[in-house]
Amino acid sequence: MNDNILEVENLTVQFKVKTKIFQRARSTEKTKKVLDSISFRIKQGETFGIVGETGSGKTTLARTLVGIYRPKGCKIRINGKDIDFRKREDVLLLRKNIGIVFQDPVGSLNPRLTVYDIILEGLPNAKKLSKQEIKEKITEAANLVELPESKLESYPAELSGGEKQRVSLARTIVGGKEIILLDEPTSSLDVSIQAQILNLLIKLKQELSISYIFITHDLNVIKYMCDRVSVLYYGQILEEGDTFELFEHPRHPYTAELIRANFSFSSTETYSATHESGEPSREGCIYKNSCPSRFSPCDQVPPSFLVNNVSVKCWLYDQAKIKSERS
Amino acid sequence: MNPDLLNVESLSVNFETVDRTVEILKDVSLRMEKGEVVGIVGESGSGKTTLALAIVGVLDVPPARIVKGTIHFDGRKIFPAEERGTNFRGKGINMIFQEPLTSLNPVYSVHDQLEEAINTENPSTPNKEKEEIIRRSLKEVMIRDVEGVLNAYPHQLSGGMRQRVSIAMVLIQKPQLLILDEPTTGLDLIVQRKIISLIMNLKKEISSSILLITHDLAVSASMCDRVYVMYAGRVVENGEMKEVLQKPLHPYTAMLKNSVPEGFLNSGPLKVSSGSPPDIRSPPPGCAFHPRCSRAMEICRIKVPELKKQNGDREVACWLYE
Repeated sequence: MNDNILEVENLTVQFKVKTKIFQRARSTEKTKKVLDSISFRIKQGETFGIVGETGSGKTTLARTLVGIYRPKGCKIRINGKDIDFRKREDVLLLRKNIGIVFQDPVGSLNPRLTVYDIILEGLPNAKKLSKQEIKEKITEAANLVELPESKLESYPAELSGGEKQRVSLARTIVGGKEIILLDEPTSSLDVSIQAQILNLLIKLKQELSISYIFITHDLNVIKYMCDRVSVLYYGQILEEGDTFELFEHPRHPYTAELIRANFSFSSTETYSATHESGEPSREGCIYKNSCPSRFSPCDQVPPSFLVNNVSVKCWLYDQAKIKSERS
Repeated sequence: MNPDLLNVESLSVNFETVDRTVEILKDVSLRMEKGEVVGIVGESGSGKTTLALAIVGVLDVPPARIVKGTIHFDGRKIFPAEERGTNFRGKGINMIFQEPLTSLNPVYSVHDQLEEAINTENPSTPNKEKEEIIRRSLKEVMIRDVEGVLNAYPHQLSGGMRQRVSIAMVLIQKPQLLILDEPTTGLDLIVQRKIISLIMNLKKEISSSILLITHDLAVSASMCDRVYVMYAGRVVENGEMKEVLQKPLHPYTAMLKNSVPEGFLNSGPLKVSSGSPPDIRSPPPGCAFHPRCSRAMEICRIKVPELKKQNGDREVACWLYE
């Protein structure tokens, strides 16, 4: 049986790049690949983390998955059903199943609606329900996200940052979404509020058996929240695997560098920059220009190698090559 | 004993508007010795930045008013100023802001702004020497494409690059005290680390002291010797960084530390209480943290605890330690 709730294969998103400011983008002009054949699968009830720095394509990925960008030629399968971005009903199906919580709670909540109406937006076929039923559903969602009922009549401007993110969450769970996409949900919050939201997310996941796609640049949060992690670098997944394995034994030089640079109380050693980081390479391995362990094969694009259930896009883990060099 | 480089004594700052007065800082004292790296940690609204602005002396204009307190810097009284026009900025105290795009002038090229930094100190420096100083300072902050950056305007540079340029400016002036207000927030992790190790290396070189303002306890742990924890306009705990981390005395410090996830998923829920930092326009009576504190007692609701010395250099403002 196929227990993958979401499958993404060869997702490529490219944007047209304007070369001059006052020129319109024409099809003949340069394009930039923001996501370069991304593939991943998410199981029911799993938290899948995507970690990456600025420009890695994290947000583009999130936007594509809720049908804001509709690239051609990729395969997205949700609950076993193929999604065709050209068909309106398919995009709607995608949105019905995937809810999204954005980084910026101010921009994602309509300032002129009350919290009640905002949560109502997330309720599908609300027209078929009686007023009483709607009210029950909304109060239930508010209770689940631990938002006091007295806040339902407030406007977003009257809420704190943490409360706004709770409203965003309530809007996604009221419609019974199976997957919630969290795009940096806690980055704009104070640390103690972040911790509250993380606790809430874990609680919700257990109660509602939903899956999360957790996008963030914060390694501590990823490590704490996710079952599986993929490391995104300028549109490519460089390493993907079980969280524990990935953090304990980072294989890709980029992952290792990220984990080394991470701030935590346990890391007492002082960080020193061992090498300069360069621009992402256009040819061969994309991390080539910043990599400390660069060697000759890196001029070709590495495929993904599977080591201990972690897939690594790095020539260092090419078993065949290693063997042939030894012999 | 080392003389104090900076000594802030019971500083209180109000923001006064037509219809009300808000107390932003209440009786904040802080001292720094030469060569120390001191951190100020707190969440939004705790008054960290206001304190920094008061120290650099740009705060005391309406609506802000320093109601009480003194600031001594390097043996001189800089607030209330003894004499008019005592200039301690630049060579004395210098500040790097969170967002370099707003602290760099958008209509001057990087070259011109660095030159300005020289001109404020030694306008008589010969031009040839100025060029040398400018280029050397950019090399020291590890910018490779020096000429390209020199001719660029701030908006053409990346966030990390801009922050490097503002560090280069500081390098030229070699201040005795460098205040960093969230210098790496909003930058990528690896860039953050690089900027921080850059600052720490430069500290050795220009032998200045650093006051680091951040909301991130983990970042300050990597840099600071001592730390002040602020909550709702007051210092609630201060002491040696290592000791504070190992054994936080104030429940708020403990909560801040517990808020940073350390382990994997199976390590259990994060130990934080509900609620959020208080609205400083109407702070709760007594200890400002009592509504969120799991160990709150009757007295916490009524009376504000004072900062009291514990063993060694540790100070904490909490009724638990009376």
